[in-house]
Amino acid sequence: MNSLDPRVNRLPAVGVPGQAEPKAPMDQFGTFEVFVQPRDGKPFQHEGVVHAPNLELAFVLAKEAFTRRFLCVSIFVADTRHVHVSPMTEGNDSVLNYIRDVSLQRSTKETYEIFQLPKRGKQHLQAGQVEAAGPEEAMAEAKKILPADKVIYNLWVIRTNDIRYTRPEEKELWLTLPEKKFRDASDYKGGDKLKEFLERAHS
Amino acid sequence: MNEIALKELLYKIADDQLILGHRNSEWTGMGPLLEEDIAFSSMAQDKVGQSYAIYNLLHALGEQEPDTIAFTRNANQFHNSIFTELPNSEYDFSLIRHFLYDTAEIIRFDLLTRSAYQPLADLAVKVRAELRYHTLHANTWIKQLGSATEESISRLQHSLDTALPHALGMFEESLYEQDLIHDSIFAGEKILMERWKQQVEIILSKTQLQLPDWDTLTAVNGGRKGQHSEHLQPLLDEMSEVFRIDPTAEW
Repeated sequence: MNSLDPRVNRLPAVGVPGQAEPKAPMDQFGTFEVFVQPRDGKPFQHEGVVHAPNLELAFVLAKEAFTRRFLCVSIFVADTRHVHVSPMTEGNDSVLNYIRDVSLQRSTKETYEIFQLPKRGKQHLQAGQVEAAGPEEAMAEAKKILPADKVIYNLWVIRTNDIRYTRPEEKELWLTLPEKKFRDASDYKGGDKLKEFLERAHS
Repeated sequence: MNEIALKELLYKIADDQLILGHRNSEWTGMGPLLEEDIAFSSMAQDKVGQSYAIYNLLHALGEQEPDTIAFTRNANQFHNSIFTELPNSEYDFSLIRHFLYDTAEIIRFDLLTRSAYQPLADLAVKVRAELRYHTLHANTWIKQLGSATEESISRLQHSLDTALPHALGMFEESLYEQDLIHDSIFAGEKILMERWKQQVEIILSKTQLQLPDWDTLTAVNGGRKGQHSEHLQPLLDEMSEVFRIDPTAEW
C-alpha cells in the first residue's frame, strides 16, 4: 500500500503464518537539545528536543518547533550526545556538593557553556562559560563561578564548539514574531464570539 | 505613479503568496516528520499572512476587502503564476518548489524594500525577514537531500526537471513593466530572474543535482494574465468553501 499519509504506510504488513522475526529498528533521527533566549539580556533556557539528521537541520527545525509563538530573540542547538550531565539532587542538597575538583594539566583547554537547574521540574538556564580540558573539569570550573549560597539541582556542560548558534544576520528571523499573536489560542476570542452569537440568537 | 501598474504588481505578488500558502498548507498533519510538518505549516501560514498584508495595501488603494479579494474571485481573475497552483504530489516536488519559489521571493522583496511606493517598501522589510527563514529552511534541505542518498538525489532531480519551466513562469512580464521600472516601484522581472538564476546555481552547485542549460527551457507563462491550469479552480473552491457558507460571518 502506498499512501501520501505516512501513518498509513507505517501500518504493519499481514506477514507470514508462524513468523517470529526480531522487531525492526525504528527509523528515526537522533535528538538535539534546543535553547531559547526570550529577550535580549535574559539567559538562554532549555526548551526541549527536536529530531533531525544533523546539527544544521536541527537549528532550522527548532526555530518553528519552539519559537513560532511567544517571545524569542535567539536560539541555539546541540546534539543530545554532546550534553554532559551532573548528578541530580533534591531538597536543600546542592549539586555543587557532588562535583569533584578536577584539574587536568593538559594544555589544550576549550570553552564550555554551563547550564544550571535552579528548580526541580523547571528548565535548565545558561549560567556562564568556563575554560576546561574536558567536561569533568568544566563542571569543577563551573563550581567556582556559580553562587555557593543558592541550591542548584543539576548541571549541564556543553563544549561551545558543539553548539550551533544564531548568527548575527539571522537575528531578524524573529522580527515579526511579536505580530503573530493570532498563533495563540487565547488571541481567538472564542468565548466572546459564542456569547455574541447566543445573544443574537435569543433576541 | 501609474496606479494600474502598481495594483497589478500587488495582485500578482499577493496571489502567488496566497495560492502557494494554501497549497503548502495541504501538508499540515501529513509532513514527513513532526518537526518538518510544523515548520512547513508555519511557513504556509506566513505566506497567507503576507498575502493578507498586500491585499490590505490594495484595499487602501480602493480595492475590495481582503477576504472578498481572496475568496470571491474566479480562477481567471487570479494573477498567480501557474507554478504556485500545481498540485503537491510527492514531498520532493513541494520542497523543490519551495526552494525555487522562495529564492525568487526573497530577492523580489529585497528589491521592493527600495520601492518608491513607501507602504510597499515598509512591508517588504518585514516580509524579507520572514523569508530569510523560508530560504534557510529550503537551502538546508536541498543541500542535505541533494547530496544524501541515490533515492533522495534522483527524486529531487526529477522534481527539479519538472519544476523549472514552471518556475520561469514566475518572471512573466507585466504589460506595465516599463512603468514600474520608470517610477522606481519595482526593478522588474528581468533583473529578478537574473539574480534568481545566480542564487539557484550557487545552492545547487553544493549538491549533486544538475541544472539544465537555461536556454533549453521554455517558461510556462499565462498565470499573470489569468490563464491558468485546470488545478487552480478546484483549489479556490476548496479554499473558499467555508467562506461561501456565510460571507457576512465574522470568524
